[in-house]
Amino acid sequence: MSAISRNNVKVSGTGERTMLFAHGFGCDQAMWRFVAPSFNDAFKVVTMDHVGAGGSDPDAYDIGKYASLDGYADDIVEVGREMGIRNGIFVGHSVSSMIGALASIKAPELFNTLIMVGPSPRYIDDGAYVGGFGASDIEELLASFADNPLAWSASMAPAIMGNADRPELGQELTESFCRTDPRIAREFARATFTSDNRADLPKVTARTLILQCRDDIIAGEKVGEYVRDNISGSQLILLDATGHCPNLSAPDEVTKAIKEFV
Amino acid sequence: MTEELDYRKLFDEAPCGYVLLSADGVILKTNDWVANLLGYPTGEIDGKRLRDIFSMSARILFETNLAPLLKLQKNIREVTLDLKRSDGTLVPVIMGATSFPDPLGNANTIRIVFLEAGERRLYERELVSARDNAQKGLQKEMDDGQLREQFVAVLGHDLRNPLSSISAAARILSKETLSDRGRQVIGLMQGSVLRMSGLIDNVLDFARARLGGGIGLQLRVEDTLEPLINQVVQELRASSPDHDVLMSYTATRPVECDTSKIGQLVSNLVGNALSHGDKRQPIRIGAETTENGSFRLWVANGGKPIAAEAMPTLFNPFVRGQSQGYKDGLGLGLYIAHEIAKAHGGTLTATSTEQETCFLFEMPNTVG
Repeated sequence: MSAISRNNVKVSGTGERTMLFAHGFGCDQAMWRFVAPSFNDAFKVVTMDHVGAGGSDPDAYDIGKYASLDGYADDIVEVGREMGIRNGIFVGHSVSSMIGALASIKAPELFNTLIMVGPSPRYIDDGAYVGGFGASDIEELLASFADNPLAWSASMAPAIMGNADRPELGQELTESFCRTDPRIAREFARATFTSDNRADLPKVTARTLILQCRDDIIAGEKVGEYVRDNISGSQLILLDATGHCPNLSAPDEVTKAIKEFV
Repeated sequence: MTEELDYRKLFDEAPCGYVLLSADGVILKTNDWVANLLGYPTGEIDGKRLRDIFSMSARILFETNLAPLLKLQKNIREVTLDLKRSDGTLVPVIMGATSFPDPLGNANTIRIVFLEAGERRLYERELVSARDNAQKGLQKEMDDGQLREQFVAVLGHDLRNPLSSISAAARILSKETLSDRGRQVIGLMQGSVLRMSGLIDNVLDFARARLGGGIGLQLRVEDTLEPLINQVVQELRASSPDHDVLMSYTATRPVECDTSKIGQLVSNLVGNALSHGDKRQPIRIGAETTENGSFRLWVANGGKPIAAEAMPTLFNPFVRGQSQGYKDGLGLGLYIAHEIAKAHGGTLTATSTEQETCFLFEMPNTVG
């Protein structure tokens, strides 16, 4: 199966240069629905789902490959090469910021520009580094997937619900957003929240813009500053938006900041 | 009591938790239920952040999944998560929420409802662990079953070789000059070899049928099955020489079948009739081909009819006649005969009355 269909790649827009939008942990490409279309007039706009999320191929999930962010970065490289992307713009939300950074290091010809929305190279505090979470916080999160199997019920994929005998329910869920298999969500959570990509930041050569929200408990302002200080030449913009998902809560502000940068 | 007072009470004293949340996550208003559940004085929660009453995993779930869903689809339902009490302990709840336009500005306000879910959480955990255990148990049973059936199949093969040696030895001995007693003993031996051989065939076919492959056939067109049936009957009668068998083979067309399997079917049916039938009444065997293209073969005996309650399970494996002890062997004979009939695309049926118990094998036969 091609990477394009494996990752449920959707293409729109009329421009030459490609902008690839990747979603973070907990959602799917719907995350970009209020931002990506604004770039259709000037760019070839590509959105995609990571394997295990949204409309990606569930059979492509490999617990070994996706145990670290490298597996996801390899997918980005494959998608980029299949689509013939060169000197494109990678826009990553949350953990996809680091996935995009890894992909740009692996294949520098694909993307010469990185937009990171709420990035964090490491979520767990480490000495003087403040990631925002204690190790026990992440242990609690990972344990909660076993302890509370219905936590992700708001976005379970239809197959997970085992409702073959209730087709009306399946139909309803098919149209829901941010679909995820809770077992995959647990592994993605582990890959995300135990990642440490601090050493990779200095290797990034792409022009980089960091969009930082106020009051973001997933990736705080100190983390944004850390990313800026470790990617040479990068620019940090502190948005007025609060929370972790400005692409949904303040799409106009995000769109404006990206447009000014590219 | 005014209407306004009623509505206020409906909120404050509701049997579930209400939270009104600003778009940026500040708790604007909660009711008594929430304050009581979380151990705060009434009203003290208002002004806190939602994260202050959420467990760590609930905060991450909300930021990465629930908040986006509220933006995208305006409501979420049936989410289970843990709230944090003022003393730091956690309490499981079910949460639903809707997002609706704030009359004062652009940002949406969120209405949240909570129901306690401690018992339900325990039950879910039990279900999950029961499912895990059941899957483990099932896997073990399947592994064991596979092993058992392979064991039976291998054992069957290993039993055949020494039995062939015994059979050959008896045949060689029978050509020697023997005393009357010697000839009698050889005859008994050959009868035993035959019974043993039949049992092994049945056990092997049973294992094959259960291993999933089904009974394999080697089909051939035979002009007549009469010599085959006669041979089977003669061999079996050697051990019950005083039980009469009447044969009426009227089939006029060739028959396409696996002769060794049909021989086994006849052997099982006749063996059954010899065991259960009244010795004073003859066993009647018949075979015919019909105009509409089928082959029919039946074995009938007199004597006590089969009990009505035994009929539905007659062709199940390991079902034996009630009073016969182990005389009938493993109880595989009728089951295997039934499987052989099925493998030929045919049927094996039984009727049993005071006059007669009859097993009828019928299969499509279009050759000739």
